[in-house]
Amino acid sequence: MTTAAERAEQLALVSRLKTFYPEVSEWPTPDEITHSHWLAYMKTPHDVGGELDYPHPYENKEEEQWELMTYVLCEVLAWRGIWVTEERRRIGNVDCGRSIYLGLPYYARWLWSVGRLLIEKKHINWAELTDRLAEVKNRYAGPLNGRRPEAAPKFAGDGKGVKRNEFHIKAVGLGDPPVFAGTADPAKFKVGDRVRVRDLPAMFYTRTPEYVRGAEGMIAEVAYESPAPEDETWDREDAKSEWFYIVRFNQSDLWDNYTGPKNDTLQTELPERWLEALNV
Amino acid sequence: MSNSHHDHDHDHDHAHKPMVDEITDFEVLEIALRELCIEKGLFTAEEHRVFTEYAEQIGPTPAARLVAKAWLDPQFKKLALTDAIKACKEVGVDWLHPTGFGAPSDFMAFKILENTPTLHHVIVCALCSCYPRPILGNSPEWYRTPNYRRRIVRWPRQVLSEFGLQLPDSIEVRVEDSNQKHRFMVMPMRPAGTEGWTEDQLAEILTRDCLIGVALPKPGVTNNVTPLVREAIRPASL
Repeated sequence: MTTAAERAEQLALVSRLKTFYPEVSEWPTPDEITHSHWLAYMKTPHDVGGELDYPHPYENKEEEQWELMTYVLCEVLAWRGIWVTEERRRIGNVDCGRSIYLGLPYYARWLWSVGRLLIEKKHINWAELTDRLAEVKNRYAGPLNGRRPEAAPKFAGDGKGVKRNEFHIKAVGLGDPPVFAGTADPAKFKVGDRVRVRDLPAMFYTRTPEYVRGAEGMIAEVAYESPAPEDETWDREDAKSEWFYIVRFNQSDLWDNYTGPKNDTLQTELPERWLEALNV
Repeated sequence: MSNSHHDHDHDHDHAHKPMVDEITDFEVLEIALRELCIEKGLFTAEEHRVFTEYAEQIGPTPAARLVAKAWLDPQFKKLALTDAIKACKEVGVDWLHPTGFGAPSDFMAFKILENTPTLHHVIVCALCSCYPRPILGNSPEWYRTPNYRRRIVRWPRQVLSEFGLQLPDSIEVRVEDSNQKHRFMVMPMRPAGTEGWTEDQLAEILTRDCLIGVALPKPGVTNNVTPLVREAIRPASL
């Protein structure tokens, strides 16, 4: 983007990207927003289960080299205690917002989350990133003619002053969630108990899908102890663990007008804070 | 502003493969971030190499092997259904690899779901793409799409029928949404017509799609239901 005409062309492109309800004006006044619209805007974009959609072809794709490298980058950062998976899942699947969530390739969001992470946790600053982007672009300017882009770090940092989590040390030899075994209060529910999923607001981050909120189900398995994603995602190593449960729902209770047979079921996993006992 | 210019000429023979010979925005960002991480000492180039080697060798072979073994050996089947992580070791998969605490995004909680004459399982992660990667490799693209995730939880029988799998009402369909730290895989029933087969023969019909639960194993069928491949610009496999 250099000339005025090019800037105008790009602005015209951006103007066509719509991210709000057509029935509510852009930049609405407070009285225009109903409670349902508020909930819809607050909803975490990764939570798509049950949304209306029509059949698409089930396509497979070949993996790009940068996609593999992005996966590795994210995992090595977790290996070395820079973040935990729950932080990655929030930044790349929720904090990115709905347009990036639905508009960019899957691994583009993983990659975006690394940039955000490194700047937020002060491992790099904005200028270091933007300078390096320009430098890499320049290094590979013009047609590649078969060259495969490759990272070329100028030196290896010693990593001594780097702030890392305790998790990546504690979890060695155990894994996650076994590393949290024995750290929660006794389980409140047992297999066979009837429960209701609490209807809590979905602000910022949760992994309890909207489609089970308020629904009644049965404990199918007492799964493991772990901090809840609502805490773990914010890098809170002080968060107390709780029990997780696999909860079984009857599909015809879960969905209005479920068209399959009465005994079809769905199971999903929920932390204890989301469940309340059903008095039978 | 190069994006509006290169999508016209080459679309006819290679509709799925735009001829981009310039470095992409994704490649630039990945390289910049990786270089900065190494220079800041967040990780070493050696650690990155070790994880890359791990990531390059995962695939669906051990999962197929595990189920074939379970079909032949009732003791092993019992182990697979009660301690799946331990059973994985017998087909060469250690869930603690390669970091000592596992591949971070895959966790250490794995369950195998047994199909019966009255119960069929199908897996999804309605929130992202959670998948038993250490034993089944990377998930196919369709498994990650909002489309599959939106619909399978609510219209499972319709979605399964789009994969060519029609199930009678006498079979309960159970959708397993792996939305937290558990990972799941389906153990289908051994089909008729495989009597006397070896583990190798059985493993061949245990396709990835069967282990997700969108297909059933059948003698003579060794390919996934969804072979359609969109080619990469610069594929990882080279």
